[in-house]
Amino acid sequence: MIQFKNFSASFGGRKILQELTFSLPANSITSIIGASGSGKTTLLRALCRMNDRIENFRVGGSILVDGMDVCRPDTDVYALRRKVGLIFQKPCVFPKSIIDNVVFGIREKITKKDYPDLAEKVLREVFLWEEVKDRLEEKATTLSQGQQQRLTLARTLAVEPEVLLMDEPTSSLDPKSTAAIEKLVQSLKNRHTILWVTHQHDQAQSIADRVLVIEKGQVLPLSAPIVRLVKPFTKAG
Amino acid sequence: MNAITAEKMVLALIGGVTFLIVALLFSILGVMLAKGLPAMHSGFLFDASRDFGRSGGIFYQLTGTLMLMAVAVLWSLPVALGSVLFQTEYLGAGKFKNLLTQLTYILNATPTILFGLVGYIFFGVYLDAGVSWVTGSLILAVMILPTLQVSIREAVEALPEKYREAGMALGLSRPTQIWRIILPQSFYGMVTGVLLGLARAAGETAAIMFTATTFSGIQFPQLFSDPVPTLQTHILVLAQEAANPESIAQAWGAGLVLLGLVFLLTLAAWAFRTRMVMESEL
Repeated sequence: MIQFKNFSASFGGRKILQELTFSLPANSITSIIGASGSGKTTLLRALCRMNDRIENFRVGGSILVDGMDVCRPDTDVYALRRKVGLIFQKPCVFPKSIIDNVVFGIREKITKKDYPDLAEKVLREVFLWEEVKDRLEEKATTLSQGQQQRLTLARTLAVEPEVLLMDEPTSSLDPKSTAAIEKLVQSLKNRHTILWVTHQHDQAQSIADRVLVIEKGQVLPLSAPIVRLVKPFTKAG
Repeated sequence: MNAITAEKMVLALIGGVTFLIVALLFSILGVMLAKGLPAMHSGFLFDASRDFGRSGGIFYQLTGTLMLMAVAVLWSLPVALGSVLFQTEYLGAGKFKNLLTQLTYILNATPTILFGLVGYIFFGVYLDAGVSWVTGSLILAVMILPTLQVSIREAVEALPEKYREAGMALGLSRPTQIWRIILPQSFYGMVTGVLLGLARAAGETAAIMFTATTFSGIQFPQLFSDPVPTLQTHILVLAQEAANPESIAQAWGAGLVLLGLVFLLTLAAWAFRTRMVMESEL
């Protein structure tokens, strides 16, 4: 369960997100749509504290992930990011082998003999195993964009996050790769809470259990047909 | 005057200036080759100098120079790397970061004679290290620190932000990101920095004359506290004997070798830099 409570974010005095209050149930797919600059990406990045390096970025209110306020200064951000994985708009693979990319986030926690089993498991999950099983030692940069995006997803899944944040993950992909990622996300829903940012209303409708519309840093009130199942957060007590 | 004429004039001016620089370089190379090649003989690089440098080779001076440079880089590299990582990975963009950058440039612009003087007083006299390999290498290390720092910082800053973000998103801690992403991905840039630092060290004379080297009577230093012979001092002392054609010829020969060394280091730095750019574009 993810809860936003009066959450605001600003950059250098400019408000990007304003007093957001809503909740997202576990094991569901929520699409976030909105115009460019409306605050969609900021919302995702705030969830895993990816903007900590940005000077003059300030947040207010709280975001609870399984009851833990991720905005607190004493939050273990490294543990948080392992729990809340982020997939970027453009796939970023490291200039290393495919298998090295898969285990990149978890290499210190497993032994080298476990690499192949883990790689097979997560590459199967992202429907990439059959395409790369004979060339795991090849450079990941030789893969197509669509394959690279699935590889980055496999790399994230290897860390076993509970929440997956996907920032327009298909925007740089061809239709076939897009369909593969959409199918993949549906298959991951049972074990992960997924937030999917997209510009495409059709895509949002087809893959998501619920759709949030963000405009000028605020979540728009429920309105058919775009927003279907948003449940505004109810303050306890 | 119309725009096309003005453009042609500007082009002629900047083309002329470029030609001047290239011509200057080739003139120096030409003079060095013309004067230095006659001194070369089969044992010039591998024989010890004889008769106070008037005959023989430059083996101990060449190896001494390399030893001094290598140890200077060993001192300087960890400091340069540490300060770069602190600046790029731990300090946000801000006034303190800018101040550190400016301080580096000021250090780079400090006259080398001052390094020699202050270094000798501090290391040689105050710490009682005397004129020695350790004193010279420490002074040289401080002198090449800005070159190393700037080169390494440029390499680290050229690393696409997407790699850092990908590492962060996987929950890697800052030290792990440095070890697994920043250092490997900046490797060629760092090698470039080291090579440029070595080239800078090879070109320095004033400071090490005070602190590290004596002209004759020494071969390999046995201890860090021993002085070390260098090509720079060898050239300087021989050149002062202008009346002796043998000394002058030997000085030109040693100068050509020193120039060749700097040239090779710069060429290698350029090759690694090209490799770094190619890697960053992957």
